[in-house]
Amino acid sequence: MGRYALKRILNAIPLLIVISFLIFMFIHMIPGDPARQIAGQDATKADVEVVRDQLGLNDPLLVQYGKYMKGLFTGDLGYSVKNGQTVVQTIAPRFKPTIMLGLCAAVWAVIIGVLLGVVSAVMQGRTVDYIAMIIAISGISLPGFWLGLELIQLFSVGLGWFPTGGLGSWKAYVLPSLTLGAGIMAILARFTRSSMLETMREDYVRTARAKGLGEFLVVMRHAFKNSLIDIVTVGGLQIGGLLGGSVMVETVFSIPGLGRLLVDSINFRDYKVVQALLLFFALGYIIINLIVDLLYGVINPKVRYS
Amino acid sequence: MKNYKKLISFLLAGTMMFSLAACGGKSNNNSSAGGSKNATAENKKVDKDGNIVKAKNTDAKSEDNDLVIAIEGSVSSMDPANIPDTNAISATRGVYENLVRFDENNKLVGQLAKDWEISDDSLTYTFHLNEGIKFHDGTDFNSEAVKANYDRVVDKNNNLRQRRTFIVTNDDGSEEPRVANVETPDADTVVFTLTKPWSPFINRLTQFCIISPTALEQYGNDIMNHPVGTGPYTFVEWEEGDHTKMKRNENYWGDKPGVDTVTIKEAPEAGTRTAMLQTGEADFVYPMPVDQIEAVKGTDDLNVKASDSNIMRYVTLNMEQKELKDPKVREAMNHAIDKNAYIQLMYSGYGKAATSVVPKSISGYEEQPEYKFDLDEAKKLMKEAGYEDGFKLTLWGDNTTQEIKGMTFIKQQLQQIGIEVDVMPMEPATINDKIYVDKDKANVNMWYVNWSASDFTMDGSLRSLLHSSMIPPVSANTAYYSDKDFDSDLDEGLTNADADAQANVYADAQERAWKACPWLFLGNDDVIYAEKTYLSGVYVSPDGAFNFTDAELAQ
Repeated sequence: MGRYALKRILNAIPLLIVISFLIFMFIHMIPGDPARQIAGQDATKADVEVVRDQLGLNDPLLVQYGKYMKGLFTGDLGYSVKNGQTVVQTIAPRFKPTIMLGLCAAVWAVIIGVLLGVVSAVMQGRTVDYIAMIIAISGISLPGFWLGLELIQLFSVGLGWFPTGGLGSWKAYVLPSLTLGAGIMAILARFTRSSMLETMREDYVRTARAKGLGEFLVVMRHAFKNSLIDIVTVGGLQIGGLLGGSVMVETVFSIPGLGRLLVDSINFRDYKVVQALLLFFALGYIIINLIVDLLYGVINPKVRYS
Repeated sequence: MKNYKKLISFLLAGTMMFSLAACGGKSNNNSSAGGSKNATAENKKVDKDGNIVKAKNTDAKSEDNDLVIAIEGSVSSMDPANIPDTNAISATRGVYENLVRFDENNKLVGQLAKDWEISDDSLTYTFHLNEGIKFHDGTDFNSEAVKANYDRVVDKNNNLRQRRTFIVTNDDGSEEPRVANVETPDADTVVFTLTKPWSPFINRLTQFCIISPTALEQYGNDIMNHPVGTGPYTFVEWEEGDHTKMKRNENYWGDKPGVDTVTIKEAPEAGTRTAMLQTGEADFVYPMPVDQIEAVKGTDDLNVKASDSNIMRYVTLNMEQKELKDPKVREAMNHAIDKNAYIQLMYSGYGKAATSVVPKSISGYEEQPEYKFDLDEAKKLMKEAGYEDGFKLTLWGDNTTQEIKGMTFIKQQLQQIGIEVDVMPMEPATINDKIYVDKDKANVNMWYVNWSASDFTMDGSLRSLLHSSMIPPVSANTAYYSDKDFDSDLDEGLTNADADAQANVYADAQERAWKACPWLFLGNDDVIYAEKTYLSGVYVSPDGAFNFTDAELAQ
């Protein structure tokens, strides 16, 4: 297991380097002159030149890239052009809201999603199955910001149970994580269901039943365990996406997360912040995939030796 | 078989994820502009107090004495010398003050300075400061403090945005300071001597906040996290992207505000802001998009108010373009646009058709004769110019829902006189790339755009847009308007601070620019905001900055 893990981790490093290069190149290919954007409407060309100089944009691209890479290794990610703070100071406070919210959404979405999927598969064709699938489809089909706004209207304005936004108290987490998790819950539910339906038709499940095992053990120990690989794969991808924050949920519920920061920084052409964020998202995704890979090793020992 | 299944599941999962991401990532520009239920609603008049919707329950009381303001944008910095937007300006005004400021009627009045004199040659500005004022950390406010702040702003190493106000950079990179020197003959007098007469100087001082020199020494450029000013509120906390909080300054030198604390919350989604107002989580909300007005009519303790803004909306016409060279054509185009319909469509009637090159709130504004909406007159002029069959033009503009709506309106209007308009919405930075090019590479025909001069000067409203030296790539004169007399009007107004002389030249400048039609003159939309009826003393100035220094919550 150790070697398997080490191999996987080492594979990630060249990947990160390539990604950092791609991020740098793509950002500099974005049309529009960041200096003019930053200098403002009433800046003259000379003012814009001053800004461009300050940002180091007049250096040749390779030099800029060199500085950027050096910065990455020394931990100096540069300064945000919006207010002169360091990139780290700008990004750091946004982690907690994003991660907390992501966690809440992920936990309930995974639990409910998988549960709905298993129940539907086991009770296939019955009313429970249909109801569960209607819930699942709503989760995917209902547009996120509509759902969020409706929840606010119903539970905040109408009933006054929860606040309209921010993350002040535990109550504030309820509505946004419902909105954020809805899609994930839906996908996991459907995926779990179809995967379970397949595994339950396998020969070894028939054997388990023939052996006289109770239905619950048959479902959970045999069918479900074999579906886990698929479920973990899909779940991992979904949760990886949560790391990027969700611009939509953060906007509707006024949450100062990484998603909104990314969009705002792009609009402002705050290159350094955008670069750091994209790198972080890539890193996060790689780590999640790593965890998924390692989980494969745990779930299905055969994978370790292949 | 298992491997094949895994591949399929990966692909499926990936596709589903992408589609989810696409849904989730849509910009929320749409959410506030779309869904306007009725453009012909019953009550769209604004009453004499500026109310669009007036609360029925005027006796409502606030549950607490803490003011909460919900805004769309973001307070990007609490360092008043390095601010890129009006929200930051508004927030810093709670903690900081200036030598002079604009009052609710947009008149220039003293704040930290009780009065001032301008020398006859418009070079020397002498300010007499109010006495006995202390900063929040106990440091005395005096002329030395003013000078210390000036020195900080012009220091190149500090990299502050405000430096541009005081130092002009020329094309070749050389620099010219506007201020020759700052003298402090005594603790209560500050004298600024300019290198050349520059009449906007005093207006610009309304943005020059005075920070405690002790705090500056201690924190340097980290002052944005530790604001120390002379204002009616002291700083509590600033969490970027979330909120800014301040509390009443018990040792304030002027009239203390009525509220205990002020929290400025960032809520980018319009529907959420409205909900905050309805639940009482917010007491004041800005901006209030017009399509939310219907939603709040049911709540009985809300007022929705409209007031003048300093935003000018127009379409620049490239006068170097063959078809647009002829003034008759430009006149015809102005006659073909129904400005009232424009205001109705874009702002549900909350705005005014353009009556000059600048909005009413700009000092020196003079009303100009209307370009009446008259299709026959327009067609006649087109015929006289030899363009009876019309021609084709492109129209550039930002790719937000609102701007696209406006551009489509222009297209439809001009179609009536045979002009075929190709609407091309683009991202703002992309437009900038295409606009700021050398004259021989310029492709711009028409540009749907807006401008607001935050210093309310005529010069600030016109120079970058219509002065002949501001033709791209230098600045934004995309009409390529070049009138020597207009230029000299502006230049004289800039150097002569005498009010009467300014009134004369600026009136002439407006008349010239209006008659020449370098633009399609559209309108000035109102600023619209909403508040609880138990709140008083908070308002929005024409430049979109909100003021809460005199806030009071009925208890």
